[in-house]
Amino acid sequence: MALTTAPGRTARTGPAGPRRTRRGAGRARLGEGLAGYVFLSPWLIGLMGVTAIPMLLSLWLSFTDYDILTPLTEVRWVGLANYERMFTADPSYWHAVRVTLTFALVAVPLKLAAALGVALLLNRTWRGVGLFRGLFYLPSLLGGSVALAIVWVNMFNRDGAFNSFLAVFGVEGLPWVSDPDWALETLMVLAVWQFGAPMVIFLAGLKQIPTELYEAAAVDGAGTWRRFRAVTLPMLSPVIFFNLVLETIHGFQGFTAAFVLSNGTGGPVDSTLMYTLKLYISGFTDLEMGYASAMAWVFLVAIAVITAVFFSTGRFWVHYSDGEEDR
Amino acid sequence: MHPATSPTAGMPAGRNHRTPRTRRRFLRGLAAVALAAPLALGAAACGGDEAADDGPVKLSVFWWGGDARAKLTEDALALYTKKHPDVTFEKTWQANQGYFDKLATLTAGGNPPDLFQIDDNYLAEYAGRSTTLDLTSFKDSGKLDVSKFPKSLWQYGVVDGKLAGVAAGENTQGLVYNKTLLQKHGLPEPTTGMSWEQHIAWAEQVAKKAKVPGTQDPSADYKAFWVWLRQQGKDLYKGTELGFTADDVTRWFELWKGARDRGATPTADVIHEGNATDITKQLVVTGKAATSWVWANQMPDLKKNTKDELGVVAYPGDPSAQWARASMYWSVFKGSKHRDVAVDVINFLTNDPEAVALLGTDRGLPSNLDLRAKVSETATDPAMKQSIEVESELAQKFGESPQVPIKGHSKVRSELTKAAENAQYGRATPAQAAQQFLAACKSAIG
Repeated sequence: MALTTAPGRTARTGPAGPRRTRRGAGRARLGEGLAGYVFLSPWLIGLMGVTAIPMLLSLWLSFTDYDILTPLTEVRWVGLANYERMFTADPSYWHAVRVTLTFALVAVPLKLAAALGVALLLNRTWRGVGLFRGLFYLPSLLGGSVALAIVWVNMFNRDGAFNSFLAVFGVEGLPWVSDPDWALETLMVLAVWQFGAPMVIFLAGLKQIPTELYEAAAVDGAGTWRRFRAVTLPMLSPVIFFNLVLETIHGFQGFTAAFVLSNGTGGPVDSTLMYTLKLYISGFTDLEMGYASAMAWVFLVAIAVITAVFFSTGRFWVHYSDGEEDR
Repeated sequence: MHPATSPTAGMPAGRNHRTPRTRRRFLRGLAAVALAAPLALGAAACGGDEAADDGPVKLSVFWWGGDARAKLTEDALALYTKKHPDVTFEKTWQANQGYFDKLATLTAGGNPPDLFQIDDNYLAEYAGRSTTLDLTSFKDSGKLDVSKFPKSLWQYGVVDGKLAGVAAGENTQGLVYNKTLLQKHGLPEPTTGMSWEQHIAWAEQVAKKAKVPGTQDPSADYKAFWVWLRQQGKDLYKGTELGFTADDVTRWFELWKGARDRGATPTADVIHEGNATDITKQLVVTGKAATSWVWANQMPDLKKNTKDELGVVAYPGDPSAQWARASMYWSVFKGSKHRDVAVDVINFLTNDPEAVALLGTDRGLPSNLDLRAKVSETATDPAMKQSIEVESELAQKFGESPQVPIKGHSKVRSELTKAAENAQYGRATPAQAAQQFLAACKSAIG
């Protein structure tokens, strides 16, 4: 994963130095440039073939009535009809939006809080701390795996391990995954439990905070909480920002667990109908791929807007202290 | 989902120092690729009109099912190859869940199987989009022999006047019950012809004595709803419209609300489990209800998942509301290069005595009546024997086949489940749930 290198990149947002120096190169270096493209071609072909062209195609499809089975040459242009239907005539679309927002708004902050909390604990130097780091990271290695979702469903159904555990304390559990009031919460818990990836990034960020700052703060009489508020949080803010953006995007894209839990239906009673699941059902079960493409594009724009909002608020609370001063 | 994951990187950073001319050429190349790709896809999708039947043929076949079905089908296809050495098969099979997603994707990619299994939930979707080959001319010329099929059975493969699929077997709705449990508690077994009220009263009695809910609540199950509708003189579809009104749905939901209130069914979350899972976890085999609503030919499959003895009868009410349903069909892709071979293979799988004997009743009762009789005589598996007996007995009482479900049917099904569960969880009254269902149906098939 490219995750671990990224905080450094976020922290270095100065003027684009390398690009400017190369700009002076002229025709003489044309051959070299061509060689560059040749070397780039595996990636470029991949980007074009697997991402860019299908994406553009889906943009076009979003204005058509494409139903998968009809050849692409015979699809009908329907203008904005798909978008119109989505916004005005499909209540389950808005339901999916609500479910997804609820999921992201609850699961993402909890996950980040858990990641930061555990990272703070693991940042100390105990014996065997490496083992714990590994153990806490483990769940996110299993990532969006289907196997994990299946285990989760079996743990949280009526006769699952979780209810057996509750029974030890005389508490009668609920059929969590089959209860429309709790199914989504079960998925949130699963998402929060996989806090390993942001935790490792937090840990890396914590390691970079100069100990002098803590020493200085201690000399000034700052207690633990104060040191956390005045030193750790501001120094860590670029990393928090990075994790926030990434996890929010992940949160919106949650699919696998919801798909497995509901057998691909978004049930019980649409309680786990995440946006991507609704999109999948529209495209592959209801064979309305044009409509599904329109949904995908609205989704892309929505995520871009949310990310842009994060970036624009970032300047009020994200401190890139090392960059400007050291260089 | 591609667009969502795409904000990876921008354009290559080196682009800025290219001269205008090379860049233009580069971009023109890109444009050419962008234009050519969909054309290539399109071309692949509509190729294959010419018949190329001489020389060795490799026919791709795709079906859903379990290991047992795979074994039987592979054996039958091997037998075909033995008789026609120049025809070999590329076999693909998988579980029912996800099968139709895969089939749709293969079709979209211009690479659908020549021969594939399909059921009435999707037949109209595919036939209505001309994805399936019209087999009428093959039937008329005798290359495809359906003369030994019950008439209503092969006709159940006709969509808009075209023969879109050939019944790979016949089945009908079956109410499967746990015999062992009933006997243990000295309870009577359900019988064909019980009214719905009697069935619910019986289930309540079971729940009281055996402490196991007597019946799964089938209000989310389209096939039970369908039988019930036909008994009310209605149908699921009439032409391109719904064959029922909101009132009918309300009465159906109220019938089962009554049953739930009397404790005849499991609680909503257990009902949901039964609705959401496949055949291996039906409540009658997991011990969470004494009866499950399935297709009669699924009996042997159910039996594999429980030690208890099972029995099967028709759904409650007048059994003439049930019909000889094609449990699944064989269809040929319209663009197949080997249509004649594919049709011949279907003919072989449904009419060749050896092949039919091999396949048994795995896909339902054999469509060919002569061969069905032979298979019934030689059946040894007790569960299979019983399902054959019950189905043959019911066949005497079958009514006329309804029309094949229309385009949008898969959505109607999932909307019925959603509405019924809303009522089951007490989140809507039967009348509200019915309204919700009707509104959703209208947008689905509208």
